[in-house]
Amino acid sequence: MECVVQGIIETQHVEALEILLQGLCGVPKERIRVHELCLKSGPSLAVPSEIRLLCDLAQPTPSWTVRHVGGAMRGAGAEQISVLVRTMVESKVSNNALRFFYSLGYKLDHELLKIGFAFRFQRGAPITVTVTSANKMPKLHATDEAVPVTPGIQMVEITAPTAGDNYNEVGAAVSSFCEYLAPLLHLSKPGVSTGIVPTAAAAAASLLSNTGDDPSL
Amino acid sequence: MSSQILAEVCQCVEGFGSAAKEGRWRTTLTIYRPVARDPSSTATSAPVPMPGDLPRDFLGLTLHDRPGAYFFILRHHRLILQADANVQSLMDKLQSYKARVVLHFEGFQYQLGDFMLRVGKCVQSHADTLRGIMMEVEYLPLSSIDKSRQIMEDFLDIWQDAVIKKSLPGQFINVELNFADYGLQDQYTPQHTALQYATCIVQLMATVRS
Repeated sequence: MECVVQGIIETQHVEALEILLQGLCGVPKERIRVHELCLKSGPSLAVPSEIRLLCDLAQPTPSWTVRHVGGAMRGAGAEQISVLVRTMVESKVSNNALRFFYSLGYKLDHELLKIGFAFRFQRGAPITVTVTSANKMPKLHATDEAVPVTPGIQMVEITAPTAGDNYNEVGAAVSSFCEYLAPLLHLSKPGVSTGIVPTAAAAAASLLSNTGDDPSL
Repeated sequence: MSSQILAEVCQCVEGFGSAAKEGRWRTTLTIYRPVARDPSSTATSAPVPMPGDLPRDFLGLTLHDRPGAYFFILRHHRLILQADANVQSLMDKLQSYKARVVLHFEGFQYQLGDFMLRVGKCVQSHADTLRGIMMEVEYLPLSSIDKSRQIMEDFLDIWQDAVIKKSLPGQFINVELNFADYGLQDQYTPQHTALQYATCIVQLMATVRS
């Protein structure tokens, strides 16, 4: 299982966000270039299901992962918490995974190229912050020709694994971290639209002006 | 097929004198079946593909010496996929395929010079019935299939002679497998082992049916 929140940020403010995250996390950023293929079960299978195949193109040799995201936790506990808690299982797989799932009766629904960066660190829980642009391909699997789905807008996602019995603590750790990012963006449960934070421009300008270039600092 | 025969097979191995018993091993093979939609139950006028397009030869394996890995095999498609062990949990959540039969290959392993031998029985999970007896022969110094072919054949000849002398009912059958059909190379890997177990179970089922 995992706790997750999402938000959006204008591309022009991503550099400032990166500076802020670098200062907060204290770890080097990781480059993200992931070809994401969303597969859905075909009509022959009785139970509808969906998986994502992720091909990490940032590595010298591409590596593959299969991921299944399940339903969100429901009930009073879920409503009180400010993060989404959902089941998530992922596994490394060999590079013939796409052909394998096609053979099992799955069909390609859509594919995206996610480009950006991530920070992975420990702050009350193991937390991962990813900042990515989603890019669509004009032709099947043509990652070199990908273009942004929403030019000028990037997605920020924060996730932290939970065993299920500690989601309150993990959720609190994620929420606490989100507060540091509040001047730049608002993060909330996926599906809850929050838009762009009005203070983002000023906050970004402040972050950029405070770093490096001013000789008086 | 009986435990007595299995015990005598183990005695064959131990009769080689320098064989050192090294403990137990277990490989688990699962036969999956699709959870297919019933074509007659659809309310739409659009044609629904018959479940016949779904694979019926879908196998999963956990190898004794790779507990962190899981192998899926689609024999008709000549496809083998290697994944982390938790991929089984992922497949459970998808509910698109269910485990129908689980078989365990288990027994004792012996070090015999440069060879590792694993002798064991094949039993269905939660049942005592012995389905078959199998042996896995591993030649440790080489990982090239071509280069080790002759020595493996020589070993099998010696083994068959030992079994014949014991007057055991039945015989060991070595089914040659064309690994290249599955895209595998000459360098031996756990995927090769997984394919051999899959072939073994197919051979076992064919023998039982006949």
